[in-house]
Amino acid sequence: MRRITAAISLVLLLLVATAVAEASLLGLLVLFTSILRLYLVVEIAGHYLQMSSLNVASFLQVGIANAGTIGSFLLTLASGLGAAAYRYRRWRPVL
Amino acid sequence: MKGLLRLYPRSWRKRYGAELEDLVDQTPGGLGVALDLVIGAAVAYRDVIAGNRVLAAAGACLHGMSVAVLVQAIGFLTLILVAQRTQNSTDLSFGPFDLATVTRTGYFLHGPALLSPVNVLPLIYESWIPDAVLLVVLASALAVVLAAPRLLRRLR
Repeated sequence: MRRITAAISLVLLLLVATAVAEASLLGLLVLFTSILRLYLVVEIAGHYLQMSSLNVASFLQVGIANAGTIGSFLLTLASGLGAAAYRYRRWRPVL
Repeated sequence: MKGLLRLYPRSWRKRYGAELEDLVDQTPGGLGVALDLVIGAAVAYRDVIAGNRVLAAAGACLHGMSVAVLVQAIGFLTLILVAQRTQNSTDLSFGPFDLATVTRTGYFLHGPALLSPVNVLPLIYESWIPDAVLLVVLASALAVVLAAPRLLRRLR
């Protein structure tokens, strides 16, 4: 039972960490949209998130498709998991 | 000054807290001592994390995610930079999956921009300089993040 609880906690923690990382990436994209005067459309599971600066004309329209959003989430998760697994396997006690 | 001792891990404070408190009492204080205490706390946390297998793996996980976020942000800016220099739309795809598309819209007007006098001005938004500056800033941040574990390991 303890192992199951630990495994579920680990999965939830990983998902929360990935969500926070993705939110920070979205924050960076909002910043870039503002600085570079872009018209950004992000598709998230059939919903569209549109970002643009008011009172300015956008020169480039950037669309991030559903596959891009999911791919980004998976890439971030895989990077975290890969780094953690590598460190866990190669860990040695500090003398 | 003693408040800075709270920055240290609890296990460390139990073992060395009283000793360090006496040492702080004997020193005149100042910015240098405060900085030493803060760096000492970072080193103590590094030792605690490095000494625990699960904590070390969790730290590596956060580090890997930070690197991934920065790499994706750099990829986004590179896509914009490439799209600025091409006449047609730029597509980014992976196999059959379309990941992102950048379309040159002319000066795409939306919302109050339609009524704004700014849309008749010669616009400088095509310039690649802001994009390049952001790219350099992100690349520097990535270099710092990649070097951070080694720098922390060297800290004594």
